[in-house]
Amino acid sequence: MAAETIVAKNLSKRYGDFTAVNGISFKVKKGEIYGLLGPNGAGKTTTVRMLTTLTSITSGEAWINGYSVKEDRLMVKKSIGLVPDVSNLYDELTVEENLRFTAKLYGAPMENVEELIKEFNLPAKRKFGKLSSGFKRRVTIAAALVHEPEVLFMDEPTSNLDIRSAKAVRALVRALNLRGMTIFLTTHNMIDAELLPHRIAIMEQGKIVAEGRRGELKRLVGKGVIVRFSVEPVSSTLLKVLESYSPAFDEGRISVLVDDVDDFLDHLFELRKTLGFRVTYLSTELPSIEDVFMELTEESPCPCGGCPI
Amino acid sequence: MKILTIAAKELREYVLKPGSISWGIVFPLVFTLAFAVRFGDIDHLAPGLLSISILFGTSSFVSSSIIFERRLRTFERLLVAPVSYLEIATAKILVGTLFGIFVGVTSMLVLRLFMAYAIWNWILLLLFMTLSGLAFSALSLYVSLRVQNPINAMTWLNLIRLPMIFTSGAIVSLLLFPRWFLAVGLLTPMTYSVDGLRFSMLEYYDVVNPAYSGLVMIILTMIFLYLSIRSIKNLY
Repeated sequence: MAAETIVAKNLSKRYGDFTAVNGISFKVKKGEIYGLLGPNGAGKTTTVRMLTTLTSITSGEAWINGYSVKEDRLMVKKSIGLVPDVSNLYDELTVEENLRFTAKLYGAPMENVEELIKEFNLPAKRKFGKLSSGFKRRVTIAAALVHEPEVLFMDEPTSNLDIRSAKAVRALVRALNLRGMTIFLTTHNMIDAELLPHRIAIMEQGKIVAEGRRGELKRLVGKGVIVRFSVEPVSSTLLKVLESYSPAFDEGRISVLVDDVDDFLDHLFELRKTLGFRVTYLSTELPSIEDVFMELTEESPCPCGGCPI
Repeated sequence: MKILTIAAKELREYVLKPGSISWGIVFPLVFTLAFAVRFGDIDHLAPGLLSISILFGTSSFVSSSIIFERRLRTFERLLVAPVSYLEIATAKILVGTLFGIFVGVTSMLVLRLFMAYAIWNWILLLLFMTLSGLAFSALSLYVSLRVQNPINAMTWLNLIRLPMIFTSGAIVSLLLFPRWFLAVGLLTPMTYSVDGLRFSMLEYYDVVNPAYSGLVMIILTMIFLYLSIRSIKNLY
């Protein structure tokens, strides 16, 4: 169990007849960023709540740092930090008071509070309730780190943040991971999914439908490869020839989706000889995580069952 | 130690919340003042009014705290920390009691202006104020945790608090009612508070011996503490 920091085995959560999480299993290695990606209601948050002892496990088992989530709750609590999807600190307390309160609960040294305030550049004397969403999230992350946990759980770390704040949070996640911290995050934000996790599990209707590194997941669904290129001059003959590839045009670049890159490039360079144009830009890319997500998950029906969306 | 840490945070965070101020301070003080001004000589009524003040003070503070903590999910911050459910519940009951005693003492200062007799035993009075606060806090914690939607906690509490004013003998002595109504009175936690306070203030009681009143309030505190811990476990 030592090589893996988080292990989940047949983890399930049922609320009456409704199964929120349905027998999922996964392992997260020490020092890894592991992302749980899925639509709303897929069971991501319930999974985090079970792993962090906030919700009881209906069946199955999970271990954090070798401690059973069911049996060794106190040891699990001491070794994890949780950043929930809402910034849930106390509005009437200042940033420093919030961090000191958390430190006392965990028996952490008060020097950690001073260090975090400096490192995160936090307004120590301002009330938490008066801060912007971005700062609130930073303080919430700092509060989760005050006892120096080995594993950090982050539920939708960039939700409700503006672009700049979200970017800052992503940089923070990467910096924490570079220090060796294991990070388990859930998201439905494709930018987070594309930029942060080393490995991703895609969850739908309580089950993990795919798991792997980004490249592995992209290859799962993508037979095709996107080829993007620019040429000069663009002739009508060229456009006519490319019509069979259903090209897309964006900022002077032409994008086509092809099954065999080699065949397409051979064709393009033959055309270059005959039509006499110059290739000024050329790139290939696999489908995005969003493409993978869309392919592997189904659109959820409206809960009302009757509206026309 | 963690109990004191949580209790200190509770005081800082929730003492000025609208629920604590309106139902916890303004209502009991206005209620006390209205009766005092209307009746003048209010020695027999004073223990009941004091008990009402403690009841509304404690229950409004505790329910405000639970309403906010469940809605804003700050309660989860406590649950995910290495703190036991017993420590969390005890901290909330203690700080509710402290707030209730503060409201009770303020109410007492008003009542003293209208009372003809001196307080018989101040130490006993403080003891019964504390026991009342503990029992009412524990009851309010349990009710606030039991309601599905935390916004409704205050409404549910009023459904319990307001009838208790009548069935406890706080305003009208239980001895004036038919005998069967006494059974209702004995099922009301506030009855023991009123009679205990009456004994410590006036050296007599209506229905229940003060030793039993004290014992019942300790037992009630323990029962509601236990039930509150079970409710936290069921909620999460």
